[in-house]
Amino acid sequence: MLAWIRAWASRTRASLSPRQLDQEFEHELDAHLDMLADENVRRGMSPEEARRAARIRLGGQTQLKEINRELHGLPALETFFQDTRYAFRMLRKNPGFTAVAVLTLALGIGANTAIFSVVYAMLLKPLPYSRPDQLLTVFEAQPKAGVKATGWSYANFAELREQNRIFSDMAGSQQHQLTLTGRGEPSVVNTSVVTPELFSVFGQRPILGRPFCPDDGKLGAPAVVVLSENLWRGSFGADPKVIGSSINLDKRSFTIVGVMPAVFRFPILTESEQLWIPLVQDPLFGSWMDRRGGHWLQVTGRLKPGVSMAQAQAELDAIGARLAKEFPAENDGWTIRFVPLKQKIVGNVKSALLVLMGAVGLVLLIACANIANLLLTRATSRAREIAVRTALGAGRSRIVRQLLSETLVLGLLGGLAGIALAYLGVEGLTALMPQDLPQVNAIRVDNFVLGFALLLSALASCAFGLAPALFAANSNLQSSLREGGARSGESSNRRRARSFLAAGEIALAMVLLVAAGLLLKSFSKLMAVSPGFDAQHVVQADISLPRFQYAMPQQWAAFSRELLTRLQSEPGMRDAAVVVPRPMADGFVNLGFDIVGNPPLSAGTSRTANYVSVSPDYFRVMQIPLLAGRLFDRHDVSASPRVSLVSEAMARIYFPNQNPLGKQIVFGFPPDIGAVREIVGVVGDVRDVALGQDPGAMMYVPYAQAPFWGANVVVRSSLSAASVAGTIRRDVQQIDKDLPVTDVAMMKDTIDATVAQPKFRTFLLGLFAAMALVLAATGIFGVVSYSVSRRTNEIGIRVALGASRNRILRMVFGETLVLTCAGLVLGVPSALAGSHLLGHLLFNVSANDPATLAAVAFTLALVAAIAGYIPARRAMRVDPMVALRHE
Amino acid sequence: MAGDKSDILQGTLDLMVLKTLESMGPLHGYGIARRIEQISEEVLQINQGTIYASLVRLMHRGWISGAWGTSDNNRKAKFYSLTRAGRKQLHTEAENWERISAVIGRVLRSAERG
Repeated sequence: MLAWIRAWASRTRASLSPRQLDQEFEHELDAHLDMLADENVRRGMSPEEARRAARIRLGGQTQLKEINRELHGLPALETFFQDTRYAFRMLRKNPGFTAVAVLTLALGIGANTAIFSVVYAMLLKPLPYSRPDQLLTVFEAQPKAGVKATGWSYANFAELREQNRIFSDMAGSQQHQLTLTGRGEPSVVNTSVVTPELFSVFGQRPILGRPFCPDDGKLGAPAVVVLSENLWRGSFGADPKVIGSSINLDKRSFTIVGVMPAVFRFPILTESEQLWIPLVQDPLFGSWMDRRGGHWLQVTGRLKPGVSMAQAQAELDAIGARLAKEFPAENDGWTIRFVPLKQKIVGNVKSALLVLMGAVGLVLLIACANIANLLLTRATSRAREIAVRTALGAGRSRIVRQLLSETLVLGLLGGLAGIALAYLGVEGLTALMPQDLPQVNAIRVDNFVLGFALLLSALASCAFGLAPALFAANSNLQSSLREGGARSGESSNRRRARSFLAAGEIALAMVLLVAAGLLLKSFSKLMAVSPGFDAQHVVQADISLPRFQYAMPQQWAAFSRELLTRLQSEPGMRDAAVVVPRPMADGFVNLGFDIVGNPPLSAGTSRTANYVSVSPDYFRVMQIPLLAGRLFDRHDVSASPRVSLVSEAMARIYFPNQNPLGKQIVFGFPPDIGAVREIVGVVGDVRDVALGQDPGAMMYVPYAQAPFWGANVVVRSSLSAASVAGTIRRDVQQIDKDLPVTDVAMMKDTIDATVAQPKFRTFLLGLFAAMALVLAATGIFGVVSYSVSRRTNEIGIRVALGASRNRILRMVFGETLVLTCAGLVLGVPSALAGSHLLGHLLFNVSANDPATLAAVAFTLALVAAIAGYIPARRAMRVDPMVALRHE
Repeated sequence: MAGDKSDILQGTLDLMVLKTLESMGPLHGYGIARRIEQISEEVLQINQGTIYASLVRLMHRGWISGAWGTSDNNRKAKFYSLTRAGRKQLHTEAENWERISAVIGRVLRSAERG
């Protein structure tokens, strides 16, 4: 063992300094020569003669050195270095080939690495919390009514936290925005409204001060706030003495008790939240804490170690049943569900990401096929070189090893270029990416991603290198030598392999093109959908009223009345209204309702509609048509009889074959839950949930009768957005200089932002499909033009024997045709299988859409035809004299 | 086969080098070559270079070790000596050799008689 180690140590040393090894041996041989010469002189020879005789006695020194080197070095390692050097030399000698191959590979590796960095950040990386696998999101669900997952009421949450034995800790949270004043310009801060346990559930300590303690959550506790590091640095100058000082939120004073590190982000992972306050202190949700019926608190729990998912579900079922029995009015029909927090956060981007990952994988596969084809081409022209090597005694494995070293070097060069591309790609991706995706800020090319890229390039090199290497090593020695290298026909096996690769590229490109085509069609259908209103030329702005100063609904109504009066008297701004909530951009509010005179509903069924509170001119501003009855007007105020408008869908669903006008319905948003309203009109349907979701039942109420603590102002005007926004700001601040106006935007942009994710993935897939198309076209071009160049001789003979130019064109073009047809035949079933994976990403388009399939097949055939036509034309122009002399 | 023949010769030379080092102690390549020639009473005129091929091989197997020193007439030379493994190998090889040459001798004699 020791001897073995010593031998290897000496071999390694020798490998690392081969020159020193040679020198030492040379010295030794020199000494020998000297001694031999001395001896010869002693025997009476002249010094020159003695030296010459000595050299003869010793024999060939070079062979000795060779033996010495061979035995002392690390043969495998040295062969590897030799191969690598040789590979570099070969690549330098063929700059065109090298550039095309490296570029192709770089595109494939770069795209894969960039997408993988997104997949890694979003799907693979653990969430940035301690033991994130223990964290669960707990929902309430009402399966019979189709409610899959909603939040909790605080009262139910309190029972759950009290009764369960499976969670070590649980916390509830909600978010909204509060107005921060007293520090420069009034600003709106993202606020998480939480139960005090939130930080301990996530196992996160503040960097300054203390987290919330249980007492902070009790009624009557002093108002406290925890800042985020970002806010602390941005607005408080990272002042450590900030602890104990106070800030104003919605005009109420809060004492700062702690600062959380920037790494802690919950529940919105994309932007750092700005501050946290205890639930009990929140002007809105705080007042809902004693109401059991609501579903608004998001609950996160940390599972005790060793508790299985099945145990957890069993325990939650038992607690759900107990709650339903104890409080049947609110809890009957409700059950408790949970999912791992991670699944909740990344759930809806997962399938789109996997589709993209699959797509770039295909792009790389096509790139590999392309390079394999190039290598096969080259291997054919190198057949003679390889035959000579074999004849000189290189074994088959030695040849394969040398060729593989070449492809490995090629692969790594491509990989390096690809990594450079990936850096650019990630930058581009994160800039273009919708910012509401989870973990967007964690996307980067880090070591793990780099490792992936290197592994990928090594795998790719093997993929495209193995086939040519094996073919080369298998080639028939005698025929290769006799053929005189590269001229006449190549082996049919190899040609078949090349054709198969080219056809395969077409098939793979087809899969991508069909997927991209389907997504594109789906997206254009989505964009063509009429939302039921016209967002063009509508400017919107968000105004949020501080609820401590504006505590009463009458104040909210008065504020909006005042604001609208001012706005409508401005030139060009007659069409102004307020709305809560905005269609699509805001969440929708789904409320249950009763119809006066209808029998009560049987258990487990419900009547619900989406609720919107608007000022009278809203329908004119948004151009939502009135279908029957009347719209709201200035007389519908809080003192007058309560009225309501319903959407066409609501009339159809709940008043079939009846005239809804004059019917009375009972519903309301807190505080007037039991209000009875008369239906005075029917308006057109609006897609208020999402562009891709059919309009459902909606009911509108006059803002004056159902005001809110804030509203979105919408103004239709031919003036520029900037001047409209300026006017809104000015008018708001004339009423109250401390009110911030936020979220000013064109309504159209806001709607477009809701489809940013499908748009982004459509764009990416389209990009990849375009890459695939170009690569496949290069593949066809390569195969056909290579075959033309090899057949120059044959073509020349054919022409000389009288074949017409057109016949030659047809002959060469026929090859393209066969390749393309084979590719399409392979491609159609693969594309169909692939597009079924798109599944729910498609909107109003079937995965088997024949039009898309046909269009893609046509495009591919056309591109292939062009790619094949260029070499075919060259074949047509072959001059028989030149071709025959070519040999 | 050519390879087999040279293997036998190599093995023989290696054995002689080992034996020389055992009986003479540390010695340089030239000394080994001279010694073998003397012992064989100049019958065996070896290509002295092959001694070095043999030395390199034996070094590689760890049977001898080498160190630079000064020769009798004040020349720098590399002196080789037997390692413990080399000594063991020498005894095994020598026994083998004796056994085989005895067998070969017997076979040759019987062949003569036959």
